[in-house]
This record gives sequence, C-alpha cells and structure tokens, in this order.
Amino acid sequence: MTTAAAMLSTPVYRPVLPPLPAQHRLLVVQHLALPETAYWQQQLGEEGVPVSLISLNGDMEQLFGSLQQRLSQARVGTRLYICGDESFLWKVHQQARQCGLLNGEIELIRTADSRELYCVHCSTLQTIEPAPLVHCRQCGLQLMVREHFSQRLGAYMGVCNDPFAPYGEAPATVASTSLEEQAS
Amino acid sequence: MSELLDVRVASVRQLTPLVREFTFEAVSGELPGFSAGSHVQVHMPGTGRPLCNAYSLLSDPLQRQYYRIAVRLQEQSRGGSRFMHEQVKEGDVLRLSPPANLFAPHSRAGHHLMIAGGIGITPFMAYIAALEQRGGSMELHYAYRSGLTDTYLEELAARLGAALHPYDGRAGQRLNIRQVLSDQPLGTHVYICGPDSLISDVCQTADALGWPAERIHWEAFAAPEPGEPFVAELADGRTLAVPGDYSLLEALEQAGVPVPNLCRGGVCGQCMTPYSAGEVDHRDLYLSDSERADHLMPCVSRGKGGCTVKLAL
Repeated sequence: MTTAAAMLSTPVYRPVLPPLPAQHRLLVVQHLALPETAYWQQQLGEEGVPVSLISLNGDMEQLFGSLQQRLSQARVGTRLYICGDESFLWKVHQQARQCGLLNGEIELIRTADSRELYCVHCSTLQTIEPAPLVHCRQCGLQLMVREHFSQRLGAYMGVCNDPFAPYGEAPATVASTSLEEQAS
Repeated sequence: MSELLDVRVASVRQLTPLVREFTFEAVSGELPGFSAGSHVQVHMPGTGRPLCNAYSLLSDPLQRQYYRIAVRLQEQSRGGSRFMHEQVKEGDVLRLSPPANLFAPHSRAGHHLMIAGGIGITPFMAYIAALEQRGGSMELHYAYRSGLTDTYLEELAARLGAALHPYDGRAGQRLNIRQVLSDQPLGTHVYICGPDSLISDVCQTADALGWPAERIHWEAFAAPEPGEPFVAELADGRTLAVPGDYSLLEALEQAGVPVPNLCRGGVCGQCMTPYSAGEVDHRDLYLSDSERADHLMPCVSRGKGGCTVKLAL
C-alpha cells in the first residue's frame, strides 16, 4: 500500500530561511531545552531585528495567554515563528490567527516527523509515526491515514481501511470473508 | 457584460482648477447599488473614437439617488478627461457601465489606513462614508497640491478631525511613508490610491517593514499609455490596424469585437485574451510571466515595433 496522495489541505512547510523582512519577530517554542531554540533565536535575530521568545511550560492555556498579550500590543511588521511538532504548530497557528495575525505573517518550523491522527470513527486523537496504515489506539480499527489535514485539530484524518468491515462490526478480515460467503 | 446605464448629469461643479465633479441621476428607474471602492466606466460619445474611462464612485454608497465622480484634467489626456471637462454639461445624458468593485475595504480589518495622492482621494470618500456608518477605525494620509488637487480637503478635515493627515506638496510637506507604516496596530490594512510612484513607494516600504501582501491594497486607474501602431489579426483572418493612441481593446470595440472588461487599466483581468503570434509589450499588472507567453491584456498591452499580433478571438 502506498502513501495516500497529497491533498489541497496537506500542509506544505516552506523554508523559513532567509527570514522575510520584519520589524519584530516572535518565536514560540514547544521545548525550551532543545538545541533548535537557540539556533532559531540566533538565526532570526540576524540583521538586528529583535526576537522575543515564548516557550511552552507544560500548559497550553498559559502559552496562549502570553501570546495573546504580546500580540495585542504588536504592530504590523511582526512575524510569528512557531517551532515544534506538527500538532503544536497548528494549535498555536490557530490561536495566532484569532489574535489577528494573517497566514502570511506566520512561519512554521517543524521539529519532529510524528503526526497527529484523528480517528473519524471514535474521535480519538493520537500521535503516530509516518505510516499509511495504523490501528486506532482507542477502538482498534485499522485506519488508512488520509493526507487530508485539519488545521483546527492539527491532525490528519484516519478512516476505516476496509469498506467491507465498517466501524462497529467484526474485525476487517473476518467481515470481508463472511460477505464473500453470503454473495456466493 | 451587464447592460449600460443611461444617466443624466444632475450637476457639475468645478472643485479646483484641475478637478471637476459630476453628479449623475438615473434617466429612468433606480440606479443599481454599489459598495465603497466601486468604479464605473463612463462612455464618451462624439469624440470621434471609442473612449471610455473608469472613475471611482465617491458618493455615499447608502444613498441611492445619485452617483458622484470627480475627474482630474490630465495634461497628457487622450481626450477622456478633456471631454469630461469641456463637453459635459448639466442635463446631458451619458452611458455608464454598472458599478464594479476591485478595491473594497477589507471586511476583517481592525483599522483602515488610507493613503491618497491627489485625485486618488475619490474612492476614499465612499470608504469614509461606509466606515463612519459601521464605526470602523480609520486614518487618512492625503498628499495633494494646494489650490490644484486639494479636492474635498475642508470636508475631510471636518469629518475626520485628527484622523486626517494632510500633506501639501506646494508647502514642502512630505508624507513619511516609513514612519506611518512602522507604527500600525496588528489588524491594520493599508489602501493606496494615487500615482504609480506613490503606490510603488508604499508597497516597497511596506514589504521591507514586514507587511504581508494580504494587508496591502491599491488601485491605480490610468488611461492606457499610447505607443507605436501595430496590427492585430483575428481568428477569422481579419486584420485591424491599431493606431498609436488607441488601445487594442478600443480598436477591437470599434471593429465590433467586444471583449468583457472592468477596469480598462490592466488590473482586473477581465479582458485577458489568448494570442498565438507576435511580440507583445505587456503593460498590465495582472498576468504572471508564464501566462504572458500566450495571453495579453488588450486594455493596456500592445504589439511591439509595428508587428502583427495574432489573437484567438
């Protein structure tokens, strides 16, 4: 089975360097301790543009509070850089949009390959490694990882892989066998 | 294309030695509504050639009784502004294309920063009326030459108070674009209307200060620049000689080949026309480099060096 094709909603992460012009840069990091933090702080501060740092201290609400407070004072010419895993990027992205930043003012720096997957059958969000097929951690159904990405959830959509074994019925292999038997 | 509107010239006012204001009312029925930033094309009969210029509507979009425009007399006029200044009298009937809007205020802007140069004030007169009605936050930076292009200055001062920032070029007052753009709250959108040099200065400065393109809006309506004569060949084999002071669009219209269009200034994209041969001087602000390989905007672009441009029309 090959990986599903990219869709309109599949995020594309463009290179952040060289940084676009700005009067002020705001760097939001998921892990303060990672070497990326110091690297990006240094890269973004070249040419003397001030860089402010906000880091996640375990609590997203607190992070959103500081972001909102900073952006309420901000002027046009502020660029936001979000550094973390994909799910973190889009949660902060959504918050920043609500504070008035536009897509063109937000840059995403993805630091991990892991993906967030949303099981459309039992609504469970789960972190997965890159793979076309996984079993839902909650309901056990085999899911095909679609490239359709929800910015709101920061997650890809996982849908039942076997059309002959819909959600709530017997496991995939058994169900399709019994259907074939009925047909014959 | 929508049907043309017949309007009567209800009043004509000379606002400055260079600017004349025209108020139009419907000959019959009601005028179609319009939104702030809209323009109409005024068709000018009796000039011995097809002539049709776009002008911003400056009246309050909420009132439906009349349309109002202001026309600056252009020194390099191909005849359009001269016709409006010298021929059009109260009581005359003119034909307009219905209003179209390529320059609307952004619905989600937290603050509207308007920058006008000279006669570029006109769309903002409608903006200000609309923003006053919805309580929108705004400021206007208006560069003009006193006694020549300071149209509506007194009215603006009364309506806007401290939100009006006037710059009289004759008194050496300069708009400091960098200063204005570097201290705007996050939800701001900037709108520019005026000469090309003003628009490009603001766009470049905004870009250098980190303004994303989504926050920058501009409108430049200028009649097409004349050029060298050239030949257009149509799909049916007919050929048209396009004189130097005609746009290709005008030559096509005169030959009875109408092409849908809205701005006649190379920005809206409506008149995009495919071509298959000929060297084209692209003067529009719409097509991408790759599109230019086989498309042109006949409202402003021309064939180079007297060549023949083969159109798929």
